[in-house]
Amino acid sequence: MKLSGADMLMHALHDEGVELIFGYPGGAALHIYDAIFRQDKIDHILVRHEQGATHAADGYARATGKPGVVLVTSGPGATNAITGIATAFMDSIPMVVISGQVASHLIGTDAFQETDMIGISRPVVKHSYTVFDAKDIPRIVKEAFHVATSGRPGPVVIDIPKDMTAPENLFDYAYPKKANIRSYNPPVKPDQNQIKRAVTEILSSRRPVIYAGGGAIASNAERELFQLNEILDAPVTNTLMGLGIYPATNDRFLGMLGMHGTYQANMAMHNADLIIAIGARFDDRITNNPSKFSPGAKVIHLDVDHSSVSKIIEANIAVFGQVKNSLQAMIELLKQNIDKYSKDDLKEWHSQIAQWKSSHGLNYEMYKDESDAHPILPQAVVQHVYNVTNGNAYVTSDVGQHQMFAAQYYHFDKPRRWINSGGLGTMGFGLPAAMGVKFAFPNEEVVCITGEGSIQMCIQELSTCLQYNLPIKIININNEALGMVKQWQDMNYGGRHSESTYQDSLPDFVKLAESYGHVGIKVEKNSDLKEALEKAFSMKDRLVFVDVYVDPAEHVYPMLVANNSLEDMWLSKDKKT
Amino acid sequence: MIKRKLILIMENKPGALVRVVGLFHQRGYNIESLHVDPVDDFSSYKFIEERLETKFKENEISRLTIQTLVSDSLMRQILRQLNKLIDVIAVSNEETTYLKGVLLDENLL
Repeated sequence: MKLSGADMLMHALHDEGVELIFGYPGGAALHIYDAIFRQDKIDHILVRHEQGATHAADGYARATGKPGVVLVTSGPGATNAITGIATAFMDSIPMVVISGQVASHLIGTDAFQETDMIGISRPVVKHSYTVFDAKDIPRIVKEAFHVATSGRPGPVVIDIPKDMTAPENLFDYAYPKKANIRSYNPPVKPDQNQIKRAVTEILSSRRPVIYAGGGAIASNAERELFQLNEILDAPVTNTLMGLGIYPATNDRFLGMLGMHGTYQANMAMHNADLIIAIGARFDDRITNNPSKFSPGAKVIHLDVDHSSVSKIIEANIAVFGQVKNSLQAMIELLKQNIDKYSKDDLKEWHSQIAQWKSSHGLNYEMYKDESDAHPILPQAVVQHVYNVTNGNAYVTSDVGQHQMFAAQYYHFDKPRRWINSGGLGTMGFGLPAAMGVKFAFPNEEVVCITGEGSIQMCIQELSTCLQYNLPIKIININNEALGMVKQWQDMNYGGRHSESTYQDSLPDFVKLAESYGHVGIKVEKNSDLKEALEKAFSMKDRLVFVDVYVDPAEHVYPMLVANNSLEDMWLSKDKKT
Repeated sequence: MIKRKLILIMENKPGALVRVVGLFHQRGYNIESLHVDPVDDFSSYKFIEERLETKFKENEISRLTIQTLVSDSLMRQILRQLNKLIDVIAVSNEETTYLKGVLLDENLL
């Protein structure tokens, strides 16, 4: 079969199993766009801004586990994609970004819409390719998907000069069965000696904590994690990226840990004698001051990435490999030694945790005070959304206070349901990510919990939602300010709200949603909240934008006291541990 | 802080060197000196070739020598980060070598 470079690209993507591409056309990508027009196997989704394309592909990847695919043009198309690529990189999300480039003979001449995409993207990609010879396209596509999805996943860029896709140059097409990258060899199976050492440590622990993060989700290890804890019966905490990997409604679940983690999760981590870290990287939002972190705990660290282990917190036992495989190996060995383990040994530990939980745990009944004398509490909005969706929705979020409230109060029982930008903290992520999820699961409820600051960073995608009829529900927790910035200014800068408010210049979000052809609902009173949400979720075939005005003075708690241990938390505006 | 020598065997591909140099900048490590040579004589790298699915051909690999001023713990982190780069086949310091992602307790390069 003789094909042009552009047609080979489309064939290769199809042979790789790609069903959807999110993109935006432009000069350097026009040969590829013509190839898209002439085929019917892959759907292309036209976004309104390249950042939207990357976040949508990212949301699709997080929800499905399959790599997201993006197609952009050179120059501004490529640079606009960078924020989304960096977002995926920080959270280890598999993604392949194809960028058009000016023709080979123009590279280096400051040609129209020329930019060094490989150079600009280098620090935020797992790997990148330039196509120098069109016949390499099938091999490069195969390698790119292999690199993006194996080991610790991440984004891969393929930069394609325009002449490489020219219709007049034809090549024999065959898609390679296997990627052969001789220098790339991520660990898969764990070292059995390390598994033995880990199990020995577990058997003698009296205060263990399982600390699972995004790596456990990337490895699809929810069954193994659950089985492990059926044996151990240990308390489990999840990072922001790990929410859903262990059922939040399980008795052993402590909630999220870290900066805005629950009191019991942070206390348990601090006082543990053993931390079993599973696909988590001891981020600074988790450890607070590393030198004061969990002084009495030994650390078993399961990870696929060598460089994540002992980077911040020294691991006593490192287990490299796909965490799913490592967990299986641990479960097997634990089962053989089951006579040496008694759940009763953890009794004291559980009663200590129960005491922490009852003294300063999150208040799950905020919504019960629905008197109109008080402004709506943002936490109550999330709790209502949880109830109305029966805890079953895919929830995307943006970044800030609403994100933390969603993480604290929406209880995820399944992985890949909580879709947020954890590492990079990208405002504008929520709406396009929700589009990606909705494309993957058109029959599932998809909610974007956002704020009036974040939503305006990718608001243009409301137009994409109309074009493709995506009935997403947008819950805008509107405090008329950059809430998290304001909270820090309240706590650390004497309440000087430098450039964090704009209440007189906000758009009428109801009219805005309506002008894009959607439904808008404004909620200002506690007594209207429940009914408004029920109405929104009853409109199955419409995008509904629910603009909820909440108490602008509310802060997110608990909050770690900077540069201290996990025991040091603000529990409210005037109460410290 | 001690002056340390790192040796890398890597694919001689466009952009490979800049990934190594960029990593030092990105992670806040310092380069004291840097030397790159194409590898013409593969005989001293037979032990690497044995582990590869496709054998070395002429002009395909380079040898990089980097001197850097670092502490012990940072040295380990630099090694691990370099090992993660897709084009790096092997990297070693005085005591250890990562060869195709596998850590060995000796300096083989």
